[in-house]
Amino acid sequence: MIAAILTGVRLHMKQASRNPFDLSGVIVWPILYASIAYYLLNAKDNPKLLLSASLGAAVMIMWSLVVIASSGALEQQRWQGTLELVVAAPTPLTAVIGPVCVAGALVGIYAIGATLLWGALLFDVPVSIEHPLAFAVALPACALAVGMLGLIMAATFVLYRASFHLGIATQYPVWIVTGLLVPLSLLPGFVRPISWLLAPTWGFRGLQEAALGGTPWADIGMCLVLSAVYLAIGGTCLIAFEYVARARGSLRLT
Amino acid sequence: MNTLRVVFVGGLTSYRALFNWISPWIFIPHTLGYPIFEILFFAYLGRFAGVQSDQFFLIGNAFLAIAVTGMFGMGHATAGERRSQTLAALLASPANRFAVFLGRALPSILTGCFVATTSFTICAAILGVHVRLSSLPGLALATVAAAFSCTALGLCLGALGLRGRNVSVFADVITGCMLIVSGANVPLHLLPEWVQKISSGIPLTHGIEAARTIADGASISTASDLLLKEFAIGGVYLVIGLAMLRFFEFEGRRTASLETF
Repeated sequence: MIAAILTGVRLHMKQASRNPFDLSGVIVWPILYASIAYYLLNAKDNPKLLLSASLGAAVMIMWSLVVIASSGALEQQRWQGTLELVVAAPTPLTAVIGPVCVAGALVGIYAIGATLLWGALLFDVPVSIEHPLAFAVALPACALAVGMLGLIMAATFVLYRASFHLGIATQYPVWIVTGLLVPLSLLPGFVRPISWLLAPTWGFRGLQEAALGGTPWADIGMCLVLSAVYLAIGGTCLIAFEYVARARGSLRLT
Repeated sequence: MNTLRVVFVGGLTSYRALFNWISPWIFIPHTLGYPIFEILFFAYLGRFAGVQSDQFFLIGNAFLAIAVTGMFGMGHATAGERRSQTLAALLASPANRFAVFLGRALPSILTGCFVATTSFTICAAILGVHVRLSSLPGLALATVAAAFSCTALGLCLGALGLRGRNVSVFADVITGCMLIVSGANVPLHLLPEWVQKISSGIPLTHGIEAARTIADGASISTASDLLLKEFAIGGVYLVIGLAMLRFFEFEGRRTASLETF
């Protein structure tokens, strides 16, 4: 099973990195969001704020990629008529879908590189990472946690053929409630407890603290804890929803 | 008469087919949820940055909803046929091409206008933005102008779909660029001069500016210059799109690349 997961992650990473045209979207979108933040914040005298905005924009795209990868993968399998074969295979569905989500999040690391480079070249955002080791650990921890959150989403996608559209619709709400570009203090009070349950909040904080010189290890730890929790919930949901889809004969849904 | 039949009956049929594929209970929250949260996201970002008013972001992003549906509606018209492998059969028919694809896009455009209006109303209530009743006809006219020009740009993208397989990704990137270049979320004077020059030549920029002027209390005649520019830009893209449609169909037939993936 571990071999299936690792092979899946490697395969989906390679697939996602193969098409330069698709990859251009991965690079262009975070640059656009970061640019909007740079222009609006206009904080030349506060480079830390701009660096934080770069990281926030990159984590936003990481979440989008996970949603698109997980929902798109199921939709593609449906279109190609291979979803039944994947479900019928002895490998657990979690080991098939999980790597798709994690690979999507790992591709998001390109987005972090793109925004940091863009900010440095065009907006003079200094790319100085205060704790390089913590940053290097925070990157995969963030990708893993965001990917595992995607696994829970993917479980619901087994039941709905409009999964891709449902997934797309969750982008902005998650960006808002996790405080990636807009501080949570500006939002209504009920948003804060919701943000604690979502991986992008902790992933972003981990990266931010590591880059700006804070205490990132607690946030990285939260990413790992949430990853385990999401895996348990997502895995259970996948088994349950797979059972329902098999019972209804609704897997294909095309 | 036959062209009108192709536009309206064809459009209605494809729209019914859409709802056969997707339940309204998913379609409506998806189409309304996305622009509503987009408006709120940028409005809160604007509050954080202390730049512009909520009304600025409300109008800019509501108009982006029109752009998205106009461009994707037309762009996806060809991409969808290609994906379901019906493009060759469609192009073998004697029907007017523009009528065929406009028919598929028209319901999307109307949906886009509805979505923009609804999300504008809901977000205005959430953000506490008040717009005078007397401004509504002008805003409606700006909406029509923006829908027209964005659909015309979408026709160019749809024509590219006869040749390329990744038109949706391309349309996605263009929509993303419009977040900035059209002035929807960043005041135009903050952008570099060369970007401002591009802004003046693309759909949506003048429509958004006209809508903001009208919402600030100006009359339609005051904003007529901007509205005319928006219609004129749409007209130019329409002509370019029709020429591209003809060219790429000819090329697709010549190189047998219509259903190439």
